[in-house]
Amino acid sequence: MFGEMEKNSFSMAYDDLGDKTTINGRKIELLFEDGQGKPDIAKSAAEKLVHSDKVDMISGGYSSACTFPIAGAAQTMGVPFLDSTGAADKITTQGWEWVFRGTAAPASHYTGALFDFYDNVMHPKTTALMYENTDFGTSSADGYKAICEAKGIEVVFDEAYEAGAVDFKPMLMKAKAANPETCYVISYVMDASLIIKQARELDWNVDLFVGGAAGWTMPEFLENAKDASEYVASTTLWVPNVAWPGVSEYYNGYIAKYGKKPDYHGAQAYGTMQIIVDALNNAKEISYEGIRQSLLEINPTTVMGPIKLENWSDEFGHNYTNQNRPTTYVVQWQKGVLEVIWPEAAKSANYVCPVPKWSERK
Amino acid sequence: MTKRNWLLPAIVGIVAVALPFIVQGDYYRHILILVLVWITLGTAWNLLGGYCGCVSFGHAAFFGLGAYGAGLLVFHAGISPWWGMIVGPAVAVIIGIPIGLITFRLRGPYFALAMLALGEIFRLVFTNWVSATNGAVGILIIPAFTSKVAYYFIGLAIAAAGIYTVYRLMHSKLGYYFVSIREDQDAAEALGIPTTKYKMYALIPSALLTGLAGAFYMNYMAYIEPGVVFSLPEISIMMILVTMVGGAGTLWGPVLGGALYVILAELFRTTFGAANVLVFGIIVCLIIMYLPDGFIGDWPKLKGYFRRGRKASYAGGE
Amino acid sequence: MVIFGQTFICGILLGGIYAIIAIGMTLIMGVMKIINLAHGALMMVGMYISYCLFTYCGGIDPYIAMFLSGACLFGIGYLIQKYSIEKVSGVETILPESQVLLTVGIMLVLTEAIRLIFKSDYRSVAPWYSGTSFFVGDMSISIPMLIGFGIAMAFVFVLHLFLTRTDLGRSVRATAQDRDAATYMGINSKRVTNFTFGLGSALAAVGGTLLLPIYYLFPDIGHAVLAKCFIITILGGMGSTMGALFGGLALGVAESFGATYWAMGYKDVVGLIIFIVVLLFLPGGFKSLTKR
Repeated sequence: MFGEMEKNSFSMAYDDLGDKTTINGRKIELLFEDGQGKPDIAKSAAEKLVHSDKVDMISGGYSSACTFPIAGAAQTMGVPFLDSTGAADKITTQGWEWVFRGTAAPASHYTGALFDFYDNVMHPKTTALMYENTDFGTSSADGYKAICEAKGIEVVFDEAYEAGAVDFKPMLMKAKAANPETCYVISYVMDASLIIKQARELDWNVDLFVGGAAGWTMPEFLENAKDASEYVASTTLWVPNVAWPGVSEYYNGYIAKYGKKPDYHGAQAYGTMQIIVDALNNAKEISYEGIRQSLLEINPTTVMGPIKLENWSDEFGHNYTNQNRPTTYVVQWQKGVLEVIWPEAAKSANYVCPVPKWSERK
Repeated sequence: MTKRNWLLPAIVGIVAVALPFIVQGDYYRHILILVLVWITLGTAWNLLGGYCGCVSFGHAAFFGLGAYGAGLLVFHAGISPWWGMIVGPAVAVIIGIPIGLITFRLRGPYFALAMLALGEIFRLVFTNWVSATNGAVGILIIPAFTSKVAYYFIGLAIAAAGIYTVYRLMHSKLGYYFVSIREDQDAAEALGIPTTKYKMYALIPSALLTGLAGAFYMNYMAYIEPGVVFSLPEISIMMILVTMVGGAGTLWGPVLGGALYVILAELFRTTFGAANVLVFGIIVCLIIMYLPDGFIGDWPKLKGYFRRGRKASYAGGE
Repeated sequence: MVIFGQTFICGILLGGIYAIIAIGMTLIMGVMKIINLAHGALMMVGMYISYCLFTYCGGIDPYIAMFLSGACLFGIGYLIQKYSIEKVSGVETILPESQVLLTVGIMLVLTEAIRLIFKSDYRSVAPWYSGTSFFVGDMSISIPMLIGFGIAMAFVFVLHLFLTRTDLGRSVRATAQDRDAATYMGINSKRVTNFTFGLGSALAAVGGTLLLPIYYLFPDIGHAVLAKCFIITILGGMGSTMGALFGGLALGVAESFGATYWAMGYKDVVGLIIFIVVLLFLPGGFKSLTKR
């Protein structure tokens, strides 16, 4: 699902950017390789592109498990790599000068707007944390835990699960018994749908059910969870009604061309293509080093907002290189539409919090 | 050994040493290195499975233990993973011995399933015991060499050592014991052969070689995670298929099987894209149905297909 | 106390559904004496057929689709056995395991063929009763799981009658007990074997379809269920349908308790450990316990 969305978005951006893709008379050529979701194949594919196809730079990377080896390979080979989605922190905390991440935020920073919401609106004292035991899930969970500790929010329940389970009730029961005010659940879309449906079956109520990105914001979540998705909040890096230029053209254009709705992963791919074209146009010479320098210099405005690839540190001691500072939003499903509820300046609808109990709905 | 027996391995050996210089391009060298890894894995499995008759569906356990043996040195102690080439196989053997003691009481399919379950248990434990192994996040190291040629020769040394070891073992008394256990374990017992002890003698080099391949994998690929190195379909089952396609119970079977698998898989991946595993699956089915002893094992039969004119050739042989 | 009860109920219901799938495998195992590693893939194909019937044929309810899907899989299984696996049985090879490996090859082919047609996307069906539940005290019971459990038990019962009361059923059991003796008695073992493979596949399709409203569908779903199936088969004793039933229930409950009282991530390890323990200390499974 994601792979196709990203590939389509890359292609679409390529087409939309038209003339800009011809630089000094040479047309940019896009070569796609399929990593099949397996880290070792991803690494091989990256190496093939560089050694066999002799590409000038590589981009892409969806799952953190696959993106990290690609980044490592790029660093070793000395080839610029622009990560579009892979979110694990460690991709840009290694001090690797050849690895860039523009449209993706480090996993531990997905929650910026959420904690802002906590501080200004919710003031929760307790929370439950559940996450899949992958790279992405664990990174995000660690980030969330660290910030909760700093703010004095108690994590009363903390459990990792293996993705693909049929029955989450054992875990959800324990979460319910711990009686948290809110929760943060990091899942991909099918687990997310099952979790929320089973939470409803158990009649587990919290003030606000928050999902950690990815699965919780996708259109497939709405399709599979149906009305159980109502009032579920999440954090995200992009929504179709955010105010950056070209966003609605991308969104509507994608639906017209491919018949499906894209979500932030597609926007990341589209935005990444915009960065690439900008960098290649700006580069003084088309070589690995030339492109690398160019990436450091540019400041394009993309569908994900303005991008600046720079080095910075956060309050937890992470030192990021070539990383764009993240802009995050809190969104909430309301009547089947994903509305932005925070920050105030960007909102498209008012938040509903605390949410009505399951038994009070319908 | 007759002169004829030396000729083929010598030619293969010379070609193998010359290959990385003939073949230019890191991508192709990468394929060659993968071939060497799979040759090693096939040969290792073949010792226990093909020669000794203990079909294990869980050899990924040893591969993963070898890989993590090297990786954890870096993760916990910052020691160079090259030491893992000793630690990895050692861990695989140390853990392999009790595994063997437990599972060798089981026969045939039960043994196969028990090994399968063990492989899966290791995978789940390594995924969930995050403090010890870094869980699904895996271990990433910076590779020591940028040139693939160095890795190629290390891999070649390992594969050659593996093949030679199996050769010597099978041409010794141990070899006869292994085959007798495979053919009829009860008869062997009746003749006074302590079958568990000899199965162990097959398991130890098998686990060691698999672990060594794992440690090498860690050093070369520079990234491992439990889902990859302990994988049931990608490692355990493939080790078996590689050997079976090439020819179980033959020395060169795993070599052919390993080479075929890697080259075909990569070829299919680039031509058929997503359908490569499908094509591979069909080939496996056909081979098992029509050449059940693998290419090498059924070599006489294969030759027979190509010589249809001479009907009387079977009895005389070639 | 609620947690205990809830865990138990979840375990039993899910275990019952696994049981019907595993019964298919144990039948095949009993008659053919091989582990059918393609069983999960066959179930998966059955699920896709039901999915298509629901999505593209005007919303045929899974509980009706399962009969059609079962019939299709009976046919597919029969053909696979007759034209592929049969070729390899009885052939003298270095390793007797080539039949098992052929089933691995078949699993690969089935899985990848489906992936080619349907891609790796997750799909689900959502009939009106999906996600509904009711409360017994403080414990929640999922309606589709309860219905699935009920239907699974009905099938087990009917199967039991079939195996004990009909001629064909008794032929199956006879062939499983002693193939040669059955042949001497005039039973066409080849025909029975083909039939049994078809029947086992059909049961897998039915069980998988029962899972469809509570879970979701993707080409690799066969792998996870396969593992559970042969744990249940060994637990219950090869060839024993009642054994597989109790094995399924036991596994479901054990996994559920593992998830609740140990950790969700380790839930599958529970089954695997039980598996190894049974293999070592009780190789005949539950069945052997009853023949004392």
